[in-house]
Amino acid sequence: MNIRSTTRWRGAFAALALAAGLQAQDLKQFEKRVTEFDLANGLHFIVLERHEAPVVSFHTYVNAGSVDDPKGKTGIAHMFEHMAFKGTDLIGTTDAAAEKKALAAVEAAYDALDVEKIKGKRADKAAIAKLQGALDAAIEKAGTYVVPNKYPQIIDENGGVGMNAGTGEDSTTYFYNFPANRVELWFYLESSRFLHPVLREFYKERSVVREERRLRTESDPQGKLVEQLAATAMIAHPYHVPPVGWASDIENLRTDDARQFFEKYYAPGNMTISIVGDVDPARMKALAEAYFGRMAKRPVPGPIVSVEPAQEGERRVSIESPTQPVEFIAYHRPNQNDRDDPVFDVAASLLSGGRTSILYKDMVRDKRIALAAQADATFPGGKYPGLFLFVLVPAQGHTLAENEKELDTMLAKFSSEPIDEAALARVKTKTRAGVIQQLDSNQGLAQLLAYYHVNYGNWRVLFTGLEDIDKVTAADVQRVAKQYFAPRNRTVAYTYQPAEKETKQGDSK
Amino acid sequence: MRKLAIAAFLPLLAFGQTKVAPATTWNSIKFPKLRDVQIPKVEEATLPNGMKVYLLENHELPTVRGTLLVRTGNLFDPKDKVGLATIAGSTLRSGGTTEKPGDQIDEQLENIAASVESSIGESNGSVRFNTLKERVDEVLQVFHDVITKPGFRQDRIDLLKTQMRSGISRRNDEPHAISQREFADIVYGRDNPYGWRMEYENIDNIQRDDIVAFYKRYYFPANVILSVQGDFNSAEMKAKLEKLFADWTATQPPVPAFPKVANTPKPGIYVATREDVNQTNFALGQFGGLLNDKDAPALEVMADILGGGFSSRLFQKVRTKLGYAYDVSANWGAGFDHQGLFEIAGSTKSESTADTLKAIDQEVRRIRETPVTAEELESARQKVENSFVFNFDTPSKTLGRLLTYRYYGYPDDFIFSYQKAVSSVTREDIQRVAQKYLDPGKFVIVATGNPKEFGKPLSSLDMPVSEIDLTIPQPKSKKPAAAVDGASMARGKALLAKAAEAAGGAAKLAAVKDFTQTGTIQLDQTAGGLKVTQNEQWVAPSHFRQENVLPFGKVSTYSDGKTGWSSTPQGLTALPPAQANQIAFEAFKNWFSLLTSGGNADRTVNDTGGGKVEIADKAGHSVTVTFDAASGLPATLAYAAPGNPNGSVEEVYADWQDAGGVKLPRKVTMNQGGKHFADVTVTSAAVNTGLTLEQISKKP
Repeated sequence: MNIRSTTRWRGAFAALALAAGLQAQDLKQFEKRVTEFDLANGLHFIVLERHEAPVVSFHTYVNAGSVDDPKGKTGIAHMFEHMAFKGTDLIGTTDAAAEKKALAAVEAAYDALDVEKIKGKRADKAAIAKLQGALDAAIEKAGTYVVPNKYPQIIDENGGVGMNAGTGEDSTTYFYNFPANRVELWFYLESSRFLHPVLREFYKERSVVREERRLRTESDPQGKLVEQLAATAMIAHPYHVPPVGWASDIENLRTDDARQFFEKYYAPGNMTISIVGDVDPARMKALAEAYFGRMAKRPVPGPIVSVEPAQEGERRVSIESPTQPVEFIAYHRPNQNDRDDPVFDVAASLLSGGRTSILYKDMVRDKRIALAAQADATFPGGKYPGLFLFVLVPAQGHTLAENEKELDTMLAKFSSEPIDEAALARVKTKTRAGVIQQLDSNQGLAQLLAYYHVNYGNWRVLFTGLEDIDKVTAADVQRVAKQYFAPRNRTVAYTYQPAEKETKQGDSK
Repeated sequence: MRKLAIAAFLPLLAFGQTKVAPATTWNSIKFPKLRDVQIPKVEEATLPNGMKVYLLENHELPTVRGTLLVRTGNLFDPKDKVGLATIAGSTLRSGGTTEKPGDQIDEQLENIAASVESSIGESNGSVRFNTLKERVDEVLQVFHDVITKPGFRQDRIDLLKTQMRSGISRRNDEPHAISQREFADIVYGRDNPYGWRMEYENIDNIQRDDIVAFYKRYYFPANVILSVQGDFNSAEMKAKLEKLFADWTATQPPVPAFPKVANTPKPGIYVATREDVNQTNFALGQFGGLLNDKDAPALEVMADILGGGFSSRLFQKVRTKLGYAYDVSANWGAGFDHQGLFEIAGSTKSESTADTLKAIDQEVRRIRETPVTAEELESARQKVENSFVFNFDTPSKTLGRLLTYRYYGYPDDFIFSYQKAVSSVTREDIQRVAQKYLDPGKFVIVATGNPKEFGKPLSSLDMPVSEIDLTIPQPKSKKPAAAVDGASMARGKALLAKAAEAAGGAAKLAAVKDFTQTGTIQLDQTAGGLKVTQNEQWVAPSHFRQENVLPFGKVSTYSDGKTGWSSTPQGLTALPPAQANQIAFEAFKNWFSLLTSGGNADRTVNDTGGGKVEIADKAGHSVTVTFDAASGLPATLAYAAPGNPNGSVEEVYADWQDAGGVKLPRKVTMNQGGKHFADVTVTSAAVNTGLTLEQISKKP
């Protein structure tokens, strides 16, 4: 499953603008087709009818992500997301009762091994080997009751497409599409995995996740750089931690960690489900009550209390890599519910949205010092105060220093001179169109409705947020740029090539 | 496709809904019959100029979009100009029209939140537009102009060439990309359009004339298909298009067929070394087939059971059971008009590379040797059958498919006959096609990673192992085009000797053993407006050092003629080949070597006519010098600097002053691509100061 920071896709459409009052019309159209309800246990549903084709998209949004990983157990939100595909007491096993015992034996063997291991230097090596052998045998035994990958297989065989899940800093999401006649099967499967999850094959899956980290982070210079950037820019707040988790934490995660995380954060009141497609909302409500009504009401956990302190001076961090140079520059910004949130979205669009944007014209097109110079208004998440990110990719023969200098020059200008009104109007028009273009995909809509409901309190903000964007003035942009794009407020992360070391990288020596 | 008015009332019914009892097991749920999909009707027409047009009304959103498909592709690139189709495809739009520069179109379109984009891929080209319906006329006009009268303006060609060079320099940055690319290139063969690669030299070879000629050859009405979909009336749209494209009457002979795939790849394990990663990314397999081959459906089911998803054998074994990989998958690549690739791809930690490849090999052999189970086949069949509706869930999928089928000459109902064939695949079919087509002993296996950490060597897999050279070739400078004969060479040497005499005499020049010069370079605003302080040092015969003080810090470079280093505020690195080339060139064109080239056996000096003398060496460096008639001193020096993406450079000299008995210019005007670019002012110059090798090579 992906580690997907939900704010990434948000960036593409959150900068919304509106001209001709089209939003009121769209909102009206939508309201006619949307049904919302809460179950008694607090689980919220949003149903949007689209009868164009006999298909349905489902999106489950859990308002918990890697920021909620306990210390020393980073990666557990993501690990549970993987386990949510392992089946239930009735799916994925040949003998649930025997398997339950076997899984308990695995945990007992693991505990026994840990008791010896924590002795450190005084540990008995022979005893450890023996206990490790016992653990391996217990895992092997539990594996004999498993029908591997049965849960996703049922989805596949029933014509499910686009099945995936993602764990970001702020959220965990699960989604796929079914033919419209399989709706009840979705209710069965989705409710079962949160009613009776069985954390089978946990330690095999842990290795898979460890590979995922190697793939996305350790063997990818940009992945490493993103991790270093967040860890350097954020100190007190858990945005500091990569969603996949630190390597050593992953390698020591236990089944019980996943269970505790699940029990605390997968409370029905902490979840929102959107259903978009060829459905009858009355039937959706009846099915929701029948299947998800069985989840017990549990307390909804509160938000993270740690607040990132103001940055007192520029921070720089680097990664040695034989690859061509890349640099990230991140400025602290307030969270997505701040009144300046739309101003950041507009600023990002002005700076790097399209061929008429400031950075493209200056750095890519005219000076040709950059292959790309991109701004991202919200990184790594938006729920808590985070970062406004710039990504610099120098053109061949040009340096990071040159690019950084030019970006600074452009930002200084951006903060001191009011932005051209025509450019501001263009950004607003473009983003209005961007919203309209989003409205013809079940999956996209399901994602948007749940996201806006959880993050902005109401799915309607997808449309009404346009008004806030429309109110942004040139003076707002200048004020925000001046306030936030200050050197002491930033972290710079960059790659550099190893000195005087011959590699087989052609140009990239 | 209008929205249903009834929808507004449905929520009210909710109050009357009876309670549902949850099913106790997943397989006890009864599924109602899926209602039939409505396949939208596509209008077809041929315009008077021969253009085929397909129209699909869809009134759900107030938007209109369209695609022009062009029968062309990078398979038509000339061998020495790989990348031509890509450049033509992109600059068709970015290079503006004969009436408007690209920048103006960018602004016009973004102001109304519309887009027009163009590109050329392997076996097709496309121009696409997207707009809100109220702007459709304006956007169609731009779309028309881009297609029928592109400007291919030089500035955007140069910009794209710069970006493509950067792309080449970055092509080895991602392990995944390396494996995919190398696997495909080895299977298709590196000596033909399917497997050859774009290099710096190809890009240097591509000029505007080539791009214009490429465009003219392929972009004509009889060679395109236009499709438009969205919120419009088809009859009106057809009339609109007919009127709009009435002036496009270009004709060309029919475009030939794409080249055939013909290669016999050498089986074996090919290793691409990346010592900075801890995971091996692999891609392995062989040729796939054609989509309209009678065995294609059975092969697709076979590949699906082998590595198609969560329940596939490779996923079960390598990921779920062994925990070796996050991703592993197999795909039977079936192309519309040429063989695709059968490819198994994934990644695993360095230590388990050999074990993972071994496990994959076993699974490939197993699917050949024993029939798949009835359950596996049933599962694969159900998957295809039940998800079939998703081929029709948006009207645009139907239109896109129709266009693709027409483009490649497939029957319109191909998807239905293919689906039928998939449903009737048997276990015997699967084993038969696996045996007939898969040949694991002849696989090409590409592994990108760190061989030092592979644990078991890959030679344990009983296949020849070889290394992939990832070095990116640097461009060779152009060969002199002018006729060279004894007389022209003698004239060249005479002109150069006269210049040497004027500069202090050959003996004085030859006696210069070292040289130090300081100056400032003021770049034009268009070139960044930077002011750079530069210090150059040279020690005979080929040691060269350059220090540039830039606003963000000092950049120093040194080369002994072969290797060297470069120091920037980010630290010290070995001299990258691009810079080594540049610095070797600087040493080549240094005054003392250049003016005495007549006596240098490694150099040719040739009068190319009109008082121009070309000086070249065996390494491929060359410059052209002109002389001031009155003084005999050099007047200008022109060259195509290695690695400089912006065209040829010309230096114009003035203010010659004496330095230790030789004359050197104190003012240099630099032009690039025919435009003024920078001014150099030399503030001090000295020769034979006793500069030592130690001093010149000292690291900062």
